[in-house]
This record gives sequence, structure tokens and C-alpha cells, in this order.
Amino acid sequence: MRSSVSAFKPVPLRSIPTAFLIVYALLLALGLGLGSTYLVLKGDPPFGSLSIGPWKAWPNLGSTSADPYMRAILAQRGDVPLAIGEGLGFTATTDSGGRALDSACTYRVGSVAPTARLWTFSVYDQDGRLLQTELGRSGFTSAELLWDAQDTFTITLSRGLQDGNWLQLPPAGRFSIVLRLYDTPGAAGTGLTESVFPSIERVECGA
Amino acid sequence: MRGFGRFLIATLCGIVLAAGVHIVSILATPYQAENDAFVKVQPTLAADKAQIISAPGGSDTWMPLPDPAVVVAACAFDLSAGPMRVSAPIGPNLLSFSFHKESGGVFFAVTDRAAVRGELEIVAMTARQLDEARAAEDENEPSRDVRIVSPEQQGFVIVRVAAPTASQRPQAEEAAKAVSCTTEQAE
Repeated sequence: MRSSVSAFKPVPLRSIPTAFLIVYALLLALGLGLGSTYLVLKGDPPFGSLSIGPWKAWPNLGSTSADPYMRAILAQRGDVPLAIGEGLGFTATTDSGGRALDSACTYRVGSVAPTARLWTFSVYDQDGRLLQTELGRSGFTSAELLWDAQDTFTITLSRGLQDGNWLQLPPAGRFSIVLRLYDTPGAAGTGLTESVFPSIERVECGA
Repeated sequence: MRGFGRFLIATLCGIVLAAGVHIVSILATPYQAENDAFVKVQPTLAADKAQIISAPGGSDTWMPLPDPAVVVAACAFDLSAGPMRVSAPIGPNLLSFSFHKESGGVFFAVTDRAAVRGELEIVAMTARQLDEARAAEDENEPSRDVRIVSPEQQGFVIVRVAAPTASQRPQAEEAAKAVSCTTEQAE
């Protein structure tokens, strides 16, 4: 009786043909492999990031030790990174409190920046284009900012007119800020702590 | 349970193969990409001067996230015809060169701090060309060239010139256009 059960029952399960299993395994490999590559290439490099407060950078992006993910992502974006001896770009997509940057809000950015020969502060919309506003200004450089007597600065990002270093935000949508430090002294990525980076404070929202 | 076991083994095989496919496709992307920076700068190969790829203001460029205060110019090179000499007169504003491989990745970068007598000049060559240049050199009159070895025959140089204020943009653009990239004839 036992033998009759074992001879009878496994038949429907064992009947999955080997050829079908091979095709299934290959399709799974292609789907998972290419799918994961596609997802990785659409995003930021998964390894080697340097986060300082809301600012994020990939110092190895412009060096000989860029990993294969970085190279693939750069090729996919058609991007040319800042080389390690030229400078380093930091991106912020959130404020210092971790909330996403929203152009319906007013932000105050300041008051110090890391030592560099020149730094630029540029604002991009969610599609990566430079901010388009009626005033045509999408950023500041360290040379054109208004500095106060203590050698500090404040950049105000808002939709409505503000005095001082004011950047107008578009009517709606998310945005990101890129802080690029050009010709930093010493090796980039060292000696950079949160205390030398500008903070991004959300002042108010709505209105 | 045999059937389920076989199915499980097939799934595991699929996952292991997927890891392989993932690695191969990531490694192949810099060579396969049809719109990466290397392909886009190829039209500059024949020119003797660096060609502007991102004008100040950041409009009308293929570069993602352009910096409006920086002019970017490019020179593609192919060392099979001989070493390439990149040279720029320096001005008051920051100027930098970065050398990129065909397969992506920077292999050398320098700023105008390294300029000698108002001129920033770099000769990129292959390891073999460097050996030849050394062998051909006159011992009493050593070359003053700054020579760097390119790991690949093809690549491109990116020139960045900063314009700290909007009024300096035309000047920065002129400085970027004045960068020459010439192929040295073998001696």
C-alpha cells in the first residue's frame, strides 16, 4: 500500500519538466539582474557617500577609486563629476530637520561654509533643471554674496521678496540645493564637519 | 516534495545567476552607454581648441545639474596619433583640467595653482609614449613638460573656468575657449 502511494502521488509534482525549470531560472536571472541594475542606475550611488547634516556627497565619484556603480551611474546620467583635485559638490534635498525641501516654504541658509577658493550655491527643481524664476537668478557664488561684519552670511529662499541674499523659489514643487566647493585646501572630504557647513532652517510654510 | 525541491533549486539558481547578470550589466554600462559624456564630447576630437559644452548661466547644455557660475569646455583625445598637449593661459579666475577615461572615471586633475609662468600645461601620453619620450630626451636639456600617463588610449579633458560674478561670464568663456589641445607629432 505504501509503495502504491509513493508511486502514485509524486507524479503530478515531478512532472514539472526540467526544460521548464531551466527556462524559469534563466528568466528569473534576467529579470532580477537587469531589474536591479535598472533600479540602481536610476538612483544615487549606493556606496561611498559622505553625509554632513542635510548635505550629501560622493567624494570618490571624481577619483580613480570610483566604484563600478559610480562609473555606471555617471555613464547613464551622461555626467562629468568634479574631480577630487577640482572640488566637491554637496547636494541637499532636505532641510536640517530632515524634511523635504518644498518651495511653498521659506528657508534660511547660513551662516558658514567650508573653506574653499570659491563656492557656489545653486538651486535646482525636481527635474534637475536650474531654477527658473522671473528674476533669472538660480544661485549665488561666495564672491557675490553679501557678508556681514562677522564674516557670516544668510541666504533666504522664499517666494516673496526678502532683503539681503534672496533667491526666489518657484510657485510649487520640490527642489534641491547643490553646494559646490572649488579648489578646497588639502584632500577633499577631510576635516569637513557639520559645524563648518551651512544649516538649512525652515522658517515657515504656506502663505 | 521532490517537485517543490526542484522548483526551489531552480529559483536559487535563478537568483545566483541574477547576481551575475547584475554585476556584468553594471560593469558593461560605461562601455555600452550611448549618451555618456565620452560619446557627447567626440565631436570635439578634431578641434585644436577646447569646445564649450556648458556656457555660464547653465542653459542649453546636456550636463546634468550645470553650475551657472562655471564654464565647462571639453577636448576629446585619442593618443594613438601621439601625445596630447593641453595648455591654457591662466587668468584671475579658477581654471582646472580634469582628465577622464573612455570607460568613465577621472585619472588626473589639476588646477591653475600648478601653473608655471602664467601657463598651465599638461602632456597626456600612454606609458609607451612616455618611455619613448624619455629615451629621446637630451640629458643636458631635460624636458620641462608635465607628463601624465593615460591608462586608456581614448578619453577627454574637461576644462572648468569659474565666473564668480555674472559680469565675469564673458571673460570666463573666452578663457575656456583659449585652451588649446593639440596632438604632438612623434619625433
